[in-house]
Amino acid sequence: MRSKSKSLSLVAVVAATTLVAAGCGSKGEKTADSGGASGTLAIGASMSLTGALAREGALTKEGYELCQDKVNAKGGADIGGKKVKLDIQFQDDTSKPDTAAQLVDQFNDKGVKLILSSYGSANTEAQASVIERNGQVMADSAGADNKIFEKGYKRTFAVLSPATEYAASIIKAIKELAQPQPKTIAILSADDGFSKTVAEGGAAAAKEAGYNVLPTQLFPNGTSDVSSALTKVKGQKPDVIIGSVHLVEGVAIIKQAKELGVMPSGGFGESVAPPTPDFAKTLGKDAENVLGSSQWTDSTKGSDKYFGTAKDYANDINAKYGHAPDYHDAEASAACLALVMAAEKAGSTDADKVRDALASLDTDSFFGHIKFNDKGQNVYKPMSVIQVQNGKAVTVWPTDSAEAKMIWPGTKQ
Amino acid sequence: MSQFLQATIYGLLQGGLLALIAVGFSLVWGVMNVVNLAHGSFVILGAYVGWKLNSAMGLDPFLGMLVAAVVLFAVGYLLQRWLINLVINGPIFITLLLTFGLDLLIVQGMNITFSADYRSIKTAYAGDSLALGSVRVPVGRLLAFVIALLVTFALVALVNRTRTGLSIMATGMDRGAARLMGIRARHAYALTFGIAAALAGMAGTMVGTVGTFNPAAAGGFTLLSFVIAVLGGLGNMYGALVGGLLIGLVEAWGGQYLPGTWVNALAFAVLVLVLVFRPSGLVGRAYYSARQEV
Amino acid sequence: MTPETETEPTGSDQPNGTEQPSGTDQPTGVEAAELGAGVRSSAEPVWRRWLPFGLLLLGVLVMLGAQSQLYSGQERTVAAIFMFVALAQGWNIIGGFTGYASFGQVVFFGVGGYFTAVAMSHWGFNFWVSLVVSGLVAAAFGALIGLPLLRLRGHYFAIATLGVAEGMREVVTNVPGLTGGGAGISVPTVGKDATTAYLGNDGFYLLFLALAALSVLVAILVARNKFGFALRAINQDEDAAAAMGINTTRAKVSAFALSGLVTGLVGSTYAFQQVTIFPQRLFDVDITVLMVVMVVIGGSGTVLGPLLGAVALQFLSEYLRRNFTEVHTFILGAIIIAAVVLLPQGAVNYVREARQSGEWSLLANVRRYRL
Repeated sequence: MRSKSKSLSLVAVVAATTLVAAGCGSKGEKTADSGGASGTLAIGASMSLTGALAREGALTKEGYELCQDKVNAKGGADIGGKKVKLDIQFQDDTSKPDTAAQLVDQFNDKGVKLILSSYGSANTEAQASVIERNGQVMADSAGADNKIFEKGYKRTFAVLSPATEYAASIIKAIKELAQPQPKTIAILSADDGFSKTVAEGGAAAAKEAGYNVLPTQLFPNGTSDVSSALTKVKGQKPDVIIGSVHLVEGVAIIKQAKELGVMPSGGFGESVAPPTPDFAKTLGKDAENVLGSSQWTDSTKGSDKYFGTAKDYANDINAKYGHAPDYHDAEASAACLALVMAAEKAGSTDADKVRDALASLDTDSFFGHIKFNDKGQNVYKPMSVIQVQNGKAVTVWPTDSAEAKMIWPGTKQ
Repeated sequence: MSQFLQATIYGLLQGGLLALIAVGFSLVWGVMNVVNLAHGSFVILGAYVGWKLNSAMGLDPFLGMLVAAVVLFAVGYLLQRWLINLVINGPIFITLLLTFGLDLLIVQGMNITFSADYRSIKTAYAGDSLALGSVRVPVGRLLAFVIALLVTFALVALVNRTRTGLSIMATGMDRGAARLMGIRARHAYALTFGIAAALAGMAGTMVGTVGTFNPAAAGGFTLLSFVIAVLGGLGNMYGALVGGLLIGLVEAWGGQYLPGTWVNALAFAVLVLVLVFRPSGLVGRAYYSARQEV
Repeated sequence: MTPETETEPTGSDQPNGTEQPSGTDQPTGVEAAELGAGVRSSAEPVWRRWLPFGLLLLGVLVMLGAQSQLYSGQERTVAAIFMFVALAQGWNIIGGFTGYASFGQVVFFGVGGYFTAVAMSHWGFNFWVSLVVSGLVAAAFGALIGLPLLRLRGHYFAIATLGVAEGMREVVTNVPGLTGGGAGISVPTVGKDATTAYLGNDGFYLLFLALAALSVLVAILVARNKFGFALRAINQDEDAAAAMGINTTRAKVSAFALSGLVTGLVGSTYAFQQVTIFPQRLFDVDITVLMVVMVVIGGSGTVLGPLLGAVALQFLSEYLRRNFTEVHTFILGAIIIAAVVLLPQGAVNYVREARQSGEWSLLANVRRYRL
C-alpha cells in the first residue's frame, strides 16, 4: 500500500510532466516554409473565430482568403523572379488579446515571420508588441487606434485609416455638403480605447469646423441600452448626434432615439455600424438617411493587378461568399495585398527586407491609396462617408467618388 | 424632472423583462440547488427560435415566443432528466461545472449554426412609443413588461395552487419526505428545469424584439440572473420580480445621474451590500431556509 | 464536500483522529497530508515526510531541463500552463480545503495585475518590488473583503465574491486617469520609462515556473499543518469546528488572504508579460471558472488535484484550439460535461477511492451521484 501510494504520486508527476512536454511538440517542428524556396509562402493569421468578435473575425478571414485565391490564381506572387504561392495559416485567438499575442509567438517558432493581424485594436496592440520583439512583420487590417502607433513600433503597418478619422470624416462631409449648416453637435461614445479615440478625433474636427460641441457622453462598450446617454442629450437639443460605436450600440442608438423621441434636426452619423448590411436590415426604415463612415465602399477609386477595381472586388466577394462586402472584408484583403506587394518589391520574403519595402510602399489599389507614414499608419487614404438611402449604403463623400447626393437634413421634421 | 420620469419608466420596463429572465434561474437554484450557468444561452436560444420563425414564416414574435417557450421547455426537461440528473447528488459545484460545459456547447453550437452575426426581430410596432406628457413609453418594451408580469403571476399561481406546482415546492423543501409522499422527484426536478428554460426562451424572444442579440450575449444574461436571483431570494418568484425591477431602476437612474459607465459598478455594489446585510434576499422569507445550504 | 445522500462509508477518507490506529498502517507522504491522520507520529519514516517536497523539487528540475527543448513560443504555452497551476492551487486553498467556493477569485488576479501596471507606469517602480507589493496588496484586499463576506455560506458567498470581482472591474474601468479605463494600461518596457528589462519568453517561463512551484509548496504546507486541518474541519462542519475551539473567522480570512496572495502574484506577473492589460481581461469571470473547473476535475481539497487538472485542461484546450480550429470550444464543452459526469469527485479522489474500495467502474461512479 505504501509503495503503491508513493509510486502513484511519482507516476502522476511524471505523467504530468510528460503531458506538458509532449503536448508542446518536439523541437524540430519547423514545418512552415517562409523562405519561399519550395514555391509557397507561409503567412500567419490569428483570427477571432470564436468569442465576442467572431462576426468581424469571420469577415476578416474572408478577406484574407480571397486575397490568397486571387494571388494564387495568377500562379502566385512574383518574388525575386519566381512565382510563390500563398499559404495563409489560420489560428483562432478566441477574441482574447493575450491569446492573439501568444499565437504570434507560436508562428514565430515555426519560422513564420510574415503576419496578418487579428481583428480589432485590442488584439492588434497585443500582437504588435510581440512582433516588435520577435523581429517579425505585421500587416494590420483592423487595428485603427492611433495609440498603437504612438509606441514607436517599426514593424507593424496599418492599411486602414486611423481611428481619429472615423467620426472626423463625417464632420468634414457635413461641413462640405450640408445646407443649412447645423450648429450643435453631440457625440455619444462607447468607452473602449478605439471608440474614445474616434470620439476625440470627431470632437476636434467639429471644433475646428466651428460647431458647438457638447461634452461627449460615454456608455459601456457592447451595451444595447444607451437610453441614459440619449436622455441626457435630449434636453440640450443637438442638431446632429454622432455615435462612436460598434454595430450593437449603433443600432441601439437609432432604435432608442426613436423610442425616446430624440430627434436631432440634422440627423445621425455613426462610425462602423451604418455601412454594414445588418444595420439597414435590423432597423428597416429607421436607418434611412443615417450617415456613416467606412474604410472602403465599392465606389472607392483605385485599382491593382490582383483585385482590379472596387466594383470587381465587390463582385468577387459576392460570388465567393454570397453577400455584399463589408469594409472589414476589404481592409483584410488590402492588408494581405500590402504584404504581397512589399514582398514583390523587396524581391524576397526575408522579414527585414519586407519591412523596409512596406515602409516605402506607395501604390494604388482597389482599397485606395496604400502608403504609410513614419509611424506606420495609412494617412494617405481618405475614409468614405456613406448614407443609408432606400436600405442601401451609398457613398456621398468625398464628392469625386460619390454615388449619390447627400440627403440633408437627415430627419424629416 | 421629466428626465427622472423617463429614466424611471425605462428602468421599470427593462426591469420587468430582466425579472422574467431571472425568475426561472432563481426557481431552479432554489428548488434544486442547481446553479445553471447555461441559463443565458437558453435566453439566446429562445431569441433565435423567435427570429427563425419570424424570418421564415413572418410569425409575430409575441406569438413566436409561445413556440419558443414550448421548444425550450422540451430542451430543459430532457437536459435535466437525462444529463443534469446524473450529478445532482454530487458535491456542490459539480452541477456548476456541468452547466458550464453545457453553456460552452450551446453557445458554440449557436455560433456554428447561426453564425455570430447580430440579429434582431423586426416588428412594425415595437419601435413606436406612446407619449405621456414629455415622457415616452416604447410600445415594444411595454408589451414585454406586461407579458413578463403576467407570466410571473401565472407562475406563482401555478406553483402555489396546482398539484404540480406544489409537488415542485415540496421536492424543493425536503426531497426525501416528498418522495415518501409519492412525488416523483426526478420528474418534479425536470419540470422545474423545463419551466425555467421555457421562461428564459420566452424572455429571449422578447429581448430579440427590443434589441439585438448574438451568441456572445448569453453570458451577460446569466450574470444578470445571478444578481437578480440573489437580490430577490432564491426560489422566491415575487422576489425575482422585485429584484429585476430594482436592478432595472438602479441601472436607469445610475445612467442618468452618474457618468454613463458607472452603471454596472452600481448594480454590483447593490448586490454585495444586500448580500452582506440581508443575505436571504430583499423580499420576505427565504423559501428554503430550512434546507441545509450545502 | 459531503454528498447529501451518501450512505456507504468511504473507508479512511474521513479523518477522524480517534479511529485511526497510530503508528501501524501509516499512509504515505502526500496521502498523509490529505488524510491528516497522525502525521506527526514518530513511527513515520523521515523520508516519507519529505516525499512531497522531493517530488516537487524533481518536477521543477524536470521543467527546467525541458526549457532547453522548447521553442520560444512553446515556452509561452507552457508558461501559461504554469500560470494556471498556480491559479488553481490558489483557488484550492479557499475553495478546496476550506470549502468556500469563491466565484470572484479573479479579483485578486486583477488587483495584483493592475497594481503592478500602475506602479510601474505611474510611480516608476521596479517590477520585482511591484511583484512583492502587489501580492501583499492582493492579500490585504482579501482580508478586507473576507471579513464581511466570509460570514456568508455556500452559493451566497460565491455570488458575493462574483459581485466584488465584477464591481472591481467596473471601478477600474471608471478611473481612467489612474488605470487607463476601458482603453487599457501599458507597462513601459522600452525607452527611458522602462524600469525593468522585459523578461522575454525565457524569463517568464522561469518566473511562472517559480510561481507554480511556490503555489504547490504552499498547498503542501497548508495540507499538512494545523492550519490546514482547521480549514478542513471548517469544510466538513463549521459549527463543530467552532465548538472544538477553532477560531473559524481567523482561519477563513487567513485562507482567503493566502489564496489572494498567490493569485495576486500571478496576476502581477501576467500584467508584466502582457505589457498592455485591459479590465475585461484581468477581471474576466472566465478565468475564475477555468480555475474552478481545473480544481474540481483534478480533485478539490488535494494537493495533486489542481496540478493535474490545470495541466490537463490547459493542454487539452491548447491542443483542441490548434487542431480543431472551427469547433474547439464545442468539443471542449463536451469533454468537460463527460468528465464531470464520469468523474464528479475529481480524478485524484476517484483514484484514491477506487483503490480502496476496488470499484473502478466509471459507470458505477455515475450511479453514485445521480438521483
